[in-house]
Amino acid sequence: MDADLIQLLLNGLSLGAVYALFALGYTLVFSVLGVINFAHGAVFTLGAYFTYLLIGGQVGANGLLSGLRLPFSLPFVLALPLAGLGSALVALLIERVAFRPLRQRGADSLLALISSLGAGVILVNLIQLLMGAESFAIPTGTLGALPVALSIGGARVRTVQVLLLAIAALLLVLLSVWLEGSRSGKALQAVSEDPVTAQLLGIDSDGMIRLAFGVSGFLAGVSGGLVGLSVSIAGPYFGISYGLKALGVLVLGGLGSVPGAVLGGLIIGLAEAFVPAEWSGWKDAVAYGFLFLILLLRPQGLLGRPLGTKV
Amino acid sequence: MDAGLLVQMLIGALLGLSVYLPLYCGQLSLATPGFFAIGGTVAALLSTRVPAFAGTGATSPLPALLLEMALAGLLAGLLALAIGGTVLRLRGIYLAIATIALVEILRVFNLNLPFTGGALGIFGIPQPFDSTTGYAGFSLALLAVVCWLCARLEQLRLGRAMAAIRDDELAAASVGIDTARVKLTAFVLSALLAGLTGALAAHFLNSWNAKLGSFDASITTLAFVVFGGSRTWLGPVIGGLALTALPELLRPVGDLRLIVFGLVILLGPVLFPQGLITPQLLQRLGHGCSVVGQGFSGAGRRLRGRLSGVRRP
Repeated sequence: MDADLIQLLLNGLSLGAVYALFALGYTLVFSVLGVINFAHGAVFTLGAYFTYLLIGGQVGANGLLSGLRLPFSLPFVLALPLAGLGSALVALLIERVAFRPLRQRGADSLLALISSLGAGVILVNLIQLLMGAESFAIPTGTLGALPVALSIGGARVRTVQVLLLAIAALLLVLLSVWLEGSRSGKALQAVSEDPVTAQLLGIDSDGMIRLAFGVSGFLAGVSGGLVGLSVSIAGPYFGISYGLKALGVLVLGGLGSVPGAVLGGLIIGLAEAFVPAEWSGWKDAVAYGFLFLILLLRPQGLLGRPLGTKV
Repeated sequence: MDAGLLVQMLIGALLGLSVYLPLYCGQLSLATPGFFAIGGTVAALLSTRVPAFAGTGATSPLPALLLEMALAGLLAGLLALAIGGTVLRLRGIYLAIATIALVEILRVFNLNLPFTGGALGIFGIPQPFDSTTGYAGFSLALLAVVCWLCARLEQLRLGRAMAAIRDDELAAASVGIDTARVKLTAFVLSALLAGLTGALAAHFLNSWNAKLGSFDASITTLAFVVFGGSRTWLGPVIGGLALTALPELLRPVGDLRLIVFGLVILLGPVLFPQGLITPQLLQRLGHGCSVVGQGFSGAGRRLRGRLSGVRRP
């Protein structure tokens, strides 16, 4: 196979895997609450910054914490899951502040969309205030003994991308196994099917909603850390564009469908990778173009259930 | 108060009304900034490239502004008409996501088309008014007219059909309301309003770029309506005025201002799930509001009287 083609495929797959992880975070919350958590992009950003700090990165010059660094530095394999846990805690806090009060009042789900966005605005600007607006790169030496580049089928590819793809694939498999095979995963599905009935059957609906937020925050944090490693952290707002494209992924695959999110992520990641360089300005339109097409042709998404109308 | 801030607030109120129109019939469309961007781009292009609109040097004639606003509104409305039929078949969150996608696609076009100035945009848009005060007066008049039209709309058959669709689309359809047509009308009106507001904003801001119609703007304009309330035209007006002023009024707290803004957006829905201005609130305020209402409809009667040449008491 052509070396360039391998490179493009790998670019597309790793980008697609990140989109899929991102979209799964949306999916988990959407399936239990029926709303999009617009703070998800900010949690992703936060995961990247946590990772950067945990591996011993230094805060930039124009934040309040300017020049600060943690007194220790962890290897990347430890920093990434810890950053994921930190992000999960923040996601739980968002659930507590932006979602739960509205749910308890039985308010319109549209309102949670706004309040979650408020939470996102606060997080992004808090990061900017503390860490400054500059971009950070995670140093290449982070991966320890691993070589910087590998040779696959004659193509030299960056180890980081292979790693990113592997971790994302592992997480996707773990998530599916958990959802389909475990008691708590099935309970989560029951709540997404019908929260009241699930409650009557002895499932702690509120607990499951918290679980969905926690797992979704973890996924966002980890994918933020991975993207920070493979590309760079392009400032406090960098999660937002990923978050918007992941909406495209979500709709392409079918809202609420886990395999759909993975399929949608891979399709959009690959499609973006194959946009020729001279057209790179139009790359951002790919995800939205797909989104528009699928909504017109098959509104329930590739793998979603048909949208019924309830009378 | 600074006249520049006042103009921004008035533009915010107009955009709030643009989001409110589809929402009044239950359709969550976030497309307003996309149509706003179209309007701004049309006005920026016309007034910097077409001699008939450009006037002399840094000033341009007022009729040119009016014509640009009409053209911008027309173009935005036509686009809404073209895509509305298909997009409005989507419901709830799907419609919201599709309209976010529309805004982003338009933004990418604006960034990449050869004649829209790329990321930097278009500069040196000529000024139809000598001072910011002129803009403030003009925007205030425009807002008053649009408010009057919206207040009238709520009383008209169309407005009642819109409210009926919001409350129960199936029931509305079953009593003979052409729901698709009503929704499309609301969507087109919303686009038209956003488009002509964009044309005004382009002149006021003096330059125009793709950033002005982005996802951030979608959310900010939606926040106007959620914050102010979507059950009556006064809600988005108050929401637009207040939330546009807020970040500016918070300037003294410096770097914290966007965080405080975020807090307001976060807590607004929690504390006022119906928005600040609800029909119930208006009823409770009763007397004061009916005076305002009579003022509006009285003005309408007089205007119609003048148009038909008959003066009524």
